[in-house]
Amino acid sequence: MRIRFHLVMFMLSVALWINAQERDSMKVIRLGDVSVSASYEKRMIRSTALPVDVVGEHFLRERFTGNLIQTLEHIPGVHSMNIGSGFSKPVIRGMGFNRISVIENGVKQEGQQWGLDHGLEIDAFNTEQVTVRKGPASLLYGSDAMGGTIEITQRLPEAGNYVFGEAALLGKSINGTAGGSALIGIKKEAWYAKFRYSEQRFGDYRIPADTIVYLTQRLPVYGRKLKNTAGLERDMSLYTEYRKGRYSSNYAVSNAYQKVGFFPGTHGIPDMARLQDDGSHRNIELPFSTVNHLKATTHQQYMRSTVTGYLDAGYQRNDREELSRFHTHYDNQPIPEKDPDKELAFSLETYSLSAKIKHIPSTVWEHTAGWDVQYQQNRISGYSFLLPEYRRFTTGLFWLASWYPAGTDFSVSGGVRYDYGKMDVLAYGDFSGSLGLVWHPGDREIHLVKANIGHSFRLPGAYELTANGVHHGAFRHEQGDQALSSEQGWQLDLSYTYREKGVSFSASPYAAWFGNYIFLRPTGEWSVLPHAGQIYRYTGAEALFAGAEITFGIDFRPDLNYTLTGEYVYTLNLDEHIPLSFSPPASMRNTLTWTGKNIRAYAECQSIASQNRVARNEDPTRGAHLLHAGATVNIRIGKAMAEIALLFQNILDTRYYNHLSFYRKVEIPEPGRNVQLFIKVPFKSYIK
Amino acid sequence: MKPIICFFTICLTAIPCTLFVSCDNDEDTTKPVINLIEPEEGDVLQIGSDVHFEMELSDNDLLRSYKVDIHHNFDGHTHTSATKAGEETIPFSYSHAWDISGQKNASIHHHEILIPENATPGDYHLVVYCTDASGNESYVAINIELSHDGEEHEH
Repeated sequence: MRIRFHLVMFMLSVALWINAQERDSMKVIRLGDVSVSASYEKRMIRSTALPVDVVGEHFLRERFTGNLIQTLEHIPGVHSMNIGSGFSKPVIRGMGFNRISVIENGVKQEGQQWGLDHGLEIDAFNTEQVTVRKGPASLLYGSDAMGGTIEITQRLPEAGNYVFGEAALLGKSINGTAGGSALIGIKKEAWYAKFRYSEQRFGDYRIPADTIVYLTQRLPVYGRKLKNTAGLERDMSLYTEYRKGRYSSNYAVSNAYQKVGFFPGTHGIPDMARLQDDGSHRNIELPFSTVNHLKATTHQQYMRSTVTGYLDAGYQRNDREELSRFHTHYDNQPIPEKDPDKELAFSLETYSLSAKIKHIPSTVWEHTAGWDVQYQQNRISGYSFLLPEYRRFTTGLFWLASWYPAGTDFSVSGGVRYDYGKMDVLAYGDFSGSLGLVWHPGDREIHLVKANIGHSFRLPGAYELTANGVHHGAFRHEQGDQALSSEQGWQLDLSYTYREKGVSFSASPYAAWFGNYIFLRPTGEWSVLPHAGQIYRYTGAEALFAGAEITFGIDFRPDLNYTLTGEYVYTLNLDEHIPLSFSPPASMRNTLTWTGKNIRAYAECQSIASQNRVARNEDPTRGAHLLHAGATVNIRIGKAMAEIALLFQNILDTRYYNHLSFYRKVEIPEPGRNVQLFIKVPFKSYIK
Repeated sequence: MKPIICFFTICLTAIPCTLFVSCDNDEDTTKPVINLIEPEEGDVLQIGSDVHFEMELSDNDLLRSYKVDIHHNFDGHTHTSATKAGEETIPFSYSHAWDISGQKNASIHHHEILIPENATPGDYHLVVYCTDASGNESYVAINIELSHDGEEHEH
């Protein structure tokens, strides 16, 4: 205990700082004839009493991996739950699945958030600006945002009339990724439109191991490549914006398609024959999964004197299928005649609508009132059963206010919200609320202190209420419980930021107590399903979360920066006095960045502590030290300025495990050494 | 400046750490231990007879139950009801659980698993799952073969 305590202290007290997050991305907002410039990041950070990280294009390009969540993992407190090498899910401060909302263009992404083996259906090439809120954000974004939000927004178009575009290429050695993206757009008077097409194909990924263990059997990994983990992603999006005077609106349509193979050794009965090298590292055989996410959204905004009205509407359709041979799961039954290999399929349609009114009567007060409503319908097919068909309706009403007393250096903001949800015959409703303080003493903007306390509430998800079947992502029989009551708790967040010339420091400790926290509990009852041990049932328990993120940065010379970031999360199930599952291990990154003319280079040491605080039937995961390096160069090619980013990940080819990975349970290590090249050539040409 | 920052950091992190480390009782997350003696990896079992099953189970706390699961591990492409000498056979599938609650150690020895005459010969998996009183679970999987001319097991 003592040793662990000291380790945690060490990891956190060695000061730190986050890497190259763009500090001065300026934003020009046109208000009629007046132009106001403000740092977008500073404005965002000030506007909420919760810790916020805003990452701009530079950060996203420098850390580009073709996968948004793996890029955001460089922000302390954010983790990615990986499914092989291609797809990931976000985890913020130890909370994932239905507790994190991803919002694109104002509408919450609705896929199969509950599943371990489902990635996020977002085109990484198409992200220009991302805002990460850590901690309870349910007041504004609804009950599912109690753990935080990842908000993807569009940059404001620059003034003038022009056509623009971009060609981007991505290559990775770890899995032979070949990817590309093309963008074409026009800005003319009040109109702005752009279209993007992206595609990525990758082969089986390389792991630094020759064998893995599944069901206590040692299975071979031929050629150190994990068979059938190849995949592809194809995304398209069209975005149109219209701004005239006091009115502005946008319309976006996008489609994301993903197909990824599963390692056959871990799906159904392990079978040596199916692990033999099939001569190709790029084929996708059974078992595999596909997902198609179609989304159409619109945002409308109108301002009249002190009042602004907003309206967001969206339609989404998420089709997910898992395919695997019938007889690998059910040996004594006849094979179905129709779609014999379709194991599970879900088709989730979501309609969402939200309306908001903001009233700024003076420089002292700001009020926002809003109402949102969502309707979902899930349809199923396939020979296995995991989740039933359902209809779910949720709605929420909220009011927020901010007070900026004149002549002081603090502001207070708070709000209340009421949510109501109905799923088939089950109905839930409750209040949530929060109160926060932002204080920036002195006018040199050196210190910034934030404190926030909130009561949050989350409606149980459809999966938590009604699941019943073997979830291959988790390798166990999972069962919902219709008697669950909603999740609720109190969350306290503090943060302090110090910023002076050449030195910056920030610390954000937090603690949360949940009177009812929903988690999967082993019941000790044997499952009757083939290849499953005991049943895991969603159960409520009293739980505690606590932790902190710390960053420290110092400029040794104007062109040389050292940054240290660290984080720690502590979770405890107070009913049973054991940790909660999927607690991210403490980790730390030491980064040295050199900035020259048209070139930036960095070297990074990532240290991950062992995670020995595990839930029942979760294995402890050893820690590791990883070495990464990267460089970004801008080269002029004719009229265009090409951006070339070269990345070396896990340079020492260290064998390590991600405690949050889909493949952790079967002892499949994380990808080995990877060299990645990303080239982006933008163009812009003014027109009349 | 730097020492002040460090001090501040330590204070900030020390509060939650000391608070919570102290109330971490580490309740039972230790899995039960399965020592499967018979059958062994690679054993050939006789179709039409019972299985000599023997193992030792132990836990740091109290055991709850164990389950034996036998399912085929045929090639995965050609299995559907193989026939032998015109006789219909079906792949053997077995799943049964036993209650052993209240014991800290258990020696299991029985012949309750019967392989019927019409079982399809071939490769199978035998998996033993075991749980303790608080839901910790462990398992052991071995490869076995079902055959008409398997070794006679000793009693």
